[in-house]
Amino acid sequence: MVESDNFGDNRIAVPIGPQHPSLDEPGCFDITLEGEKVVDAVIGVGYNHRGLEKVCESKTYIQDLYIIERVCGICSHAHSTAFCMGIEELSGLTIPPRAAYIRVIVAELERLHSHLLWLGVACHEIGFDTMFMFTWRNREKVLDILAVLGGNRVNYGVNTIGGVRRDLDETLTSQILKTMEMLEEEIKYYVELAHTESTLISRLAGVGKLSKEDVIHYGAVGPVARAAGIEDDIRVKEPYGAYKEIPVHMITDTNADVYGRTVVRILEMQESINIIRYCLKNIPDGAISVKAPRKIPAGEVIIRVEAPRGEDIHFIRSNGTDIPDRVRVRAPTEANWHGMKHMLEGGYLADVPITIAAIDPCYSCTDRAIQLRSEKDTRVLDWKELRQYGINFYKKQGIDISTLSAGR
Amino acid sequence: MSIINKAIEWGTKKSPWIIHFNAGACNGCDIETVDSLTPRYDLERVGTLKQGSPRHADVLVCTGAVTLQTRDRLIQIYQQMSNPKFVIAVGTCACTGGIFKDCYCVTGGIDSVIPVDVYLPGCAVRPEQLISAVDKLLATLDQDQKKKETTTSEPGR
Amino acid sequence: MNLEDEIAGKLCEKFPFMTDKIYVQKEKRIFTKPLSRDEFEKTIRYVHDELGFYRACHVVGTDDGDSIGLLYILSNKDSILLILRESVPKTNTEVTSISDIYPSIVLHERELVDLFGVMVKGLPDGPRYPLPDGWPDGNYPMRKEWNPKNFNKETMTYQQPQETEAQKNG
Repeated sequence: MVESDNFGDNRIAVPIGPQHPSLDEPGCFDITLEGEKVVDAVIGVGYNHRGLEKVCESKTYIQDLYIIERVCGICSHAHSTAFCMGIEELSGLTIPPRAAYIRVIVAELERLHSHLLWLGVACHEIGFDTMFMFTWRNREKVLDILAVLGGNRVNYGVNTIGGVRRDLDETLTSQILKTMEMLEEEIKYYVELAHTESTLISRLAGVGKLSKEDVIHYGAVGPVARAAGIEDDIRVKEPYGAYKEIPVHMITDTNADVYGRTVVRILEMQESINIIRYCLKNIPDGAISVKAPRKIPAGEVIIRVEAPRGEDIHFIRSNGTDIPDRVRVRAPTEANWHGMKHMLEGGYLADVPITIAAIDPCYSCTDRAIQLRSEKDTRVLDWKELRQYGINFYKKQGIDISTLSAGR
Repeated sequence: MSIINKAIEWGTKKSPWIIHFNAGACNGCDIETVDSLTPRYDLERVGTLKQGSPRHADVLVCTGAVTLQTRDRLIQIYQQMSNPKFVIAVGTCACTGGIFKDCYCVTGGIDSVIPVDVYLPGCAVRPEQLISAVDKLLATLDQDQKKKETTTSEPGR
Repeated sequence: MNLEDEIAGKLCEKFPFMTDKIYVQKEKRIFTKPLSRDEFEKTIRYVHDELGFYRACHVVGTDDGDSIGLLYILSNKDSILLILRESVPKTNTEVTSISDIYPSIVLHERELVDLFGVMVKGLPDGPRYPLPDGWPDGNYPMRKEWNPKNFNKETMTYQQPQETEAQKNG
C-alpha cells in the first residue's frame, strides 16, 4: 500500500510496499518527491531473506541442489547450472557433450520465458494490458516445452550433478522447432512495435536513464548494462559448457534507458531462438550424465553464468565431505539494485513503476530488507492508483497507450 | 441472515476478488498465480478479479514460506481485509514451510501466522490447481460463513 | 604470456608482498592469500585506478574458525576475476568499507555486518540488510557456532544449550 506523508516543504515521502500488486513481490521504496519529480529514493528489499545458505551448510550437495534451484522460480535453471558446474569442477568431472547442449537449450528457453514475462509486466505497468495478455499467452508455449522436458513448468529440475536428468526425443525436438517458428513471428511484431510505435517510444525513451559511466560506476549487469553499450555477457566473455562451441551474438544498445532495456530484451529473445535452433541441429548423441562422487574434494570455486537478468555468481567451498563448507549465491539483481536509486532520481513519479520493473528485479534472488518510515499525517494511495496516475499523466500529454492495437 | 449479509455472500460467491501476497516465496508460485489470470486459464471468467488493496478483496492468495520480515505485514494485510475473507496457501512452502522450513528466517507455512482455508501443495502450483481451489472454496462458503462472522485479530496456529 | 599472468606480474612488480600471495587458479581466476589490512588497502586502490578492475561483483564472507575470511571479487573488461582475500580475527573484526571506490559493494558489506558480525567502518547511512527488524544483537547466523536450532523465532531470542550433568562432570 502506498501512503504519503507531507513534510510541509513541498517534499512528500511515498513509501511503496511491501505488498504491491504489479510486481507481486515484497519490496519497499521510500521515495521523496518535490512536486512531480523524484529527488531521493531508498530501495529496500529483504522480505525474501530466508537464510537458505545456512541450511546448505547442513545438507548434502544433492539436497542443496533442490534448495539452490528454488532461490528463484524464474531463473531456477541458471542457479542450478552454476551450482552443478561448481561441484563438477571441484570433482574434476566432465559432463557428456549432449548434457551440455541440453543445459544450453533449457537455459535459452528459460531466457525466452523470462523475457516474455518481463515484456508482459512492463507493458502492464504502462497500461498496455492487451500486450501483457498476448506475451503471457505466447509464454505458455515455452512452458509447455519445459514441462515435457523437465516434468514441471517452473523449477524444472533438469540438472543433476554430472549432467542432466532428462533427454530430448524426436517428438519434443519437432515441438520445440514448431514453437520457435511461432515465436519468431510474434517477436517480429514486438521488434516492429519497439522500433516504430511512437506512443510506446515516448513512454519509454528517456525514462530511468543510467548513463554508461554510471552503469560502470554502480556495477550494473545483464540487459541493464548492455542497454548502455557495455559488452557484458558471460556467454560471450567467459563461455561455459556448450557455449564454448555455440555462436552467440551479444545484443547491445546505446539508449541507456528503459527503452534501451526493452529493445535489448526483445532482440535477445530472437537470439535465443537462433541458439536453440543451432543446438537442436548440432546436438551430439551420447550419454546425458556421468556418475558423480558423493564426497567432493576440498577446494574453492567461483562460477559465473548468464542468467536472464545478468551475471549470476556462485561461490562454493568444499572440505572433502559430502556437505559443503560454504555456499554463496550472488544473483544478478543484487548488482542492479544500487543503480536503481539513481535511475529513479530526477524522474517523474509517473515513471516509478516502469523504472522499477525495467531492471527486471527478482526479489527472491536478492533477499533484502528495509524499514517503512513512520508517517505523521497520511494520505492513502494504492499501487493501482499510482500506476493509473502514470497512465493518466502521459494521456494528458497525448501519449495514450490504450489506443495501441496488440497486432494479432 | 440479514439482507446485507445475503448480498455480500452472493457477491462473494459469484465474483470473488483476490489479492495476492508473496510472504517470502521464490516467485515460482507467484508467476503461476498471475498466469491463472492470463488467456489460457483466465480466472476472470469466473468473476475473479485481482485487486491491489486488501480492503477490496475477499480471498487472500498467499505464496511462500513466511519470513520473519513479512510476518507482521501478512497479519496486517489479513486484518485489513473485511469479512467474509478467506485464505488460500499456494505452494508447499506456504502450506508447511517446505524445504525452507529449517531456515533461521522462516517461521513456517502461512498457517503459522493466519488461519488458512485451502492448502495447495505443489512446487510450483499449476494454474489449474488454483482455479480448482477457488472453486472448492466457494462451494464450502455456506458452511464456513458462520466461522468468519468475527474478525480474527490474533495470529492463529 | 596470458592476461592473467600479466596482471599477476604487474601486481608483483608494484607490490613485492604479492609475490608469495598471488596465484592464478585457472583461466579468468586470480586469487590471493590473505592480505593484511594495509596491503589490501594499497592493492584495492591500485587495481581500480591502474589495472582496470572497474567492478566489484561481490564480497563473500566465510567462517574460518577463529577468523572471518573476506573474499572481494573484482572484475575487469576482459571478465577476469581478481579475488583479494582478507582475514580478520573474530575478536576484532574491524575493516574499512571500499564503497568509496566501488559504490555497489554497499549492500554486500551490510550483509557482512549482519550475518558475520564484521565491523565495516565508513559505510554510508542506510537500513540494515538482510536481517529483519528486531533481530537480537550479537547474533550472527552465518558464523559456524550459531546454531539455528537454539534460536526461538517467536521471541527472537537465542538460547545457549544448557550443559548436562554428564557434560559438567566430564
